[in-house]
Amino acid sequence: MQARAEGSAGPGSAPRPTRAEGDPGLSARAARLARAAGSQRPSSRPAGNPLREGLRLERMPDPAAFVLFGATGDLAHRKVVPALFQLWRTNLLPHEFALVGIGRRPLGDDGFRTGLRASVEEHGRAPLTAAAWEPFAACISYQRMDFGDPAGYAALADRLDELDRTRGTAANRLFYLATQPSAFAEIIAGLGRAGLDHEVHGGGWRRVVIEKPFGRDTISAIRLNREVAKVFRESQVYRIDHYLGKETVRNLLVFRFGNGIFEPIWNRRYVDHVQITVAESIGVEGRGAFYEEAGATRDILQNHLLQLLSLVAMEPPATFEANALRDEKVKVLRSIAPLGPLEPAAVAPGVVRGQYGPGWVAGAAVPGYRAEPEVDPQSETETFVAVRLTIDDWRWAGVPFYLRAGKRLPKRATEIAVRFRAVPHALFKGTSVDPEPNLLALRIQPDEGILLRFAAKIPGLGLDVRPVNMDFTYGSAFSVDSPDAYETLILDALLGDASLFTRADEVETAWQVVTPILEAWARGRAPDFPNYEAGSWGPAAADALLARDGARWRRI
Amino acid sequence: MAADLGGRPPSAPPRTGPEVLPFGIAAVPGEPVLRWDGAATTVAAVERELARIWSSPPARDAIGGEGREERTVAARTSVLNLVVVARRPEIGERVAAEISTLTGRHPSRTLVLVPTDPDGPPWFRAQVRAYCMAARDGAPETCAELVYAVAGGETGRHLAAVVTPLLVHDLPVALWWPGDPPFGTRPADELVALADRLIVDGSAWPGDGLDRLRAVARLARSVEVTDFAVLRQARWREAIAAAFDRADLRPYLGSLRQITVTHASHGGPDADWSTNVVRPVYHVAWLASRLGLRPIRALHRDTRPEDRGRRRASRPAPPGGPADPGRDLRATLGAGRGRTVEVVIRPAISTVAAGTTLRVELLAERRGRELRVEATAEADVVRVRARERGIEVLDRPYLASRRTETDLLAEAIEVGAADHVALDALKTAAALAAPEAQP
Repeated sequence: MQARAEGSAGPGSAPRPTRAEGDPGLSARAARLARAAGSQRPSSRPAGNPLREGLRLERMPDPAAFVLFGATGDLAHRKVVPALFQLWRTNLLPHEFALVGIGRRPLGDDGFRTGLRASVEEHGRAPLTAAAWEPFAACISYQRMDFGDPAGYAALADRLDELDRTRGTAANRLFYLATQPSAFAEIIAGLGRAGLDHEVHGGGWRRVVIEKPFGRDTISAIRLNREVAKVFRESQVYRIDHYLGKETVRNLLVFRFGNGIFEPIWNRRYVDHVQITVAESIGVEGRGAFYEEAGATRDILQNHLLQLLSLVAMEPPATFEANALRDEKVKVLRSIAPLGPLEPAAVAPGVVRGQYGPGWVAGAAVPGYRAEPEVDPQSETETFVAVRLTIDDWRWAGVPFYLRAGKRLPKRATEIAVRFRAVPHALFKGTSVDPEPNLLALRIQPDEGILLRFAAKIPGLGLDVRPVNMDFTYGSAFSVDSPDAYETLILDALLGDASLFTRADEVETAWQVVTPILEAWARGRAPDFPNYEAGSWGPAAADALLARDGARWRRI
Repeated sequence: MAADLGGRPPSAPPRTGPEVLPFGIAAVPGEPVLRWDGAATTVAAVERELARIWSSPPARDAIGGEGREERTVAARTSVLNLVVVARRPEIGERVAAEISTLTGRHPSRTLVLVPTDPDGPPWFRAQVRAYCMAARDGAPETCAELVYAVAGGETGRHLAAVVTPLLVHDLPVALWWPGDPPFGTRPADELVALADRLIVDGSAWPGDGLDRLRAVARLARSVEVTDFAVLRQARWREAIAAAFDRADLRPYLGSLRQITVTHASHGGPDADWSTNVVRPVYHVAWLASRLGLRPIRALHRDTRPEDRGRRRASRPAPPGGPADPGRDLRATLGAGRGRTVEVVIRPAISTVAAGTTLRVELLAERRGRELRVEATAEADVVRVRARERGIEVLDRPYLASRRTETDLLAEAIEVGAADHVALDALKTAAALAAPEAQP
């Protein structure tokens, strides 16, 4: 890693604040940087470990301190720490590792560890054993801190320096922001003031992992990115969209670019349209207040659905390297055609919003969205969104991409379906069923797998044709014990591989796709909410969206 | 092979085991259940029985509305054929039990072949089973077929003729040969020729195991080889490699002086020749092949003066006296530019299975500083210690359990591609095991 000259900043970032006399944060930064520069030593990047070849990891993560902001929160306890423990248990973390939890609650190290142990027991993938937990627990400490307090960051910096000495963490630090999004900018500024962002040549790396949501529209996303860029270079920033860590999403890349037979037909000449569905059967599950602010568009469409779209539609990258991959993904997002003038009521011919009313899901009666706890009884938040997008590029011009996401749909299912064009000439006229166009479905969850539908002759004297499925189920070929998405992504962040993380321009471009929709909705009321029954596949308008093109949603 | 091979079987396949739970009756997700159990006395009848499983209506029926087939209820996995040759019925039964627990993971069709009664009349008896498993409630079941065949007389000497018609076409074939495979004989060579992957366990070979090691290395030119003895050592390799993740210790890898592997021996007058040393040889071979060290002198028994006394002592231990473990094996590796690395494979009296690795030690010297790294293992942990100039610089437990045969089999058949690290180790091991040229 190259040291960044003091005062220089990444593109698009605002100039650094001038050093104010007497500001404890800034003088602390200056003092730390001076000390760090004093300890600077020539870089001796060692060659790789030849004994690692052929082992599970050809390169182990460097020794590092993992600083977890929001350590007493739900995300830390349900996902981040269980994933860290699983990595530790399977020897994928370096021995020289330290986890520093940062939170507002007054807790001691032991109290923090006890709470984490209970969470790992509940949410971990494998049973917790004392033999594995005790050494892991010895790596864990807790610091109570108000995110706005400069003294807290100075204390954190001292603690991290001490961990370098006591645990050999080699001045590498990963800051993981699992807090409310409103705290992101404050924490990043605090880290910057204390000089905790600063990488010294040969003296360790600094990385920051940020959880979604990255902003709530284009302007706020740009603003947040700017705040981050004031402190960290883009190469130090890892924005997590956990969907990209899912095994089957990663398999999408292998499926497309590791097989020779699909790529030649993966274009407008052969593809009629593409459907991407992220369906949830659950409601807001006690997170009504959060969901009121978010809605399906911010929660799913802006990130998960557009990420899946870009993976399906992107050009092959020249190398499997983080920026090459993300360059291609962002090109897809930039090529999405604007939805046209968006009217408040109908928004546009290409967008449908919905909100569920009471109904039945999985044999149980469930309340409507407006009757959920913490939800406004007159709420206009959408729990369903469907959108018809087109990608104006050489490969996809004229091919509709239908995306939908919703809560309280009949089942939990995520899949990508590519429907191919019908045969050019109907040879088997007069048969009872016309041959249906071919379909390729990539099931992300559940029952991860790939299905290809083609026409076959029904045995008998006539020439009747019906579609049959060729169905590959992941679990039938590989052990079903895939790593959790968080394990994959945390390990990648520790290894410095940003391929599966979202870049600033990707986030902003994705917001540019959805912000006009949100703005149009904000201008007027949603007249017909609730407009679909819980347990149905969304409002009738979603079906009409496809019917206009002569298509219909795949029944999942 | 369609005709009944006749003859009255002196023994039949085992009929014990779980009850059949017919297709359509819900089972506990994540646990394999026996969905089909049939019998056959000819290979053609086995083929018919296998076809019947999938033509039975409950297995074929589909769910999904509008009269359109969406997803089948149960499907055979389409991953690979697994052929197992069990020279003794008890091995066959153990293997069949292990494979039934792998359902939903890998093998699509497993053929367990038990040749028996070689001098009797030819006969053939087979049991045809299907085990199915649903990953979760409501998910379609994936099934694996298991054919357990006992072949007597002449039939047992032509197993390739039994296997060929029963393979699922277009799927790779893995051949697992537990125990001591008679490589070099016609029946064995015919079966190996059918296989894409040969799975063996070098730690089960008779004698010191080195002649089988050379034979397997020759076979590795035409078939992928997986040796459980290599897979078992993964935790040792990970733990030893992890020590050299430390940037300050890594340079020592370039200036290794000696590799010493200590293994268990039960002692006795024939300990030299009856202790299987395949596992310690693999440790050395892995280190050598990864570090670019080439054998320049193959393994030979230590005949240095101080060992002659030990050789004379290779007699049954006097009552109450210490048993003699046998003699060291030594070899020399070349590191280029005239630098050499000494190899010592040292027996030590132990109650664990003879040939089990007890300790791997590396000695390196660099710029006048000496580094000693020592790895030892227990059931759930490999411990690595390092001392630099006599001062402890590393003492690290590496949590990893010893793996069962079922785990190893699952891994062996999961590997889709050639494992060049294992192949390099096998080739180096065979070179180390080369018979010494007569002086």
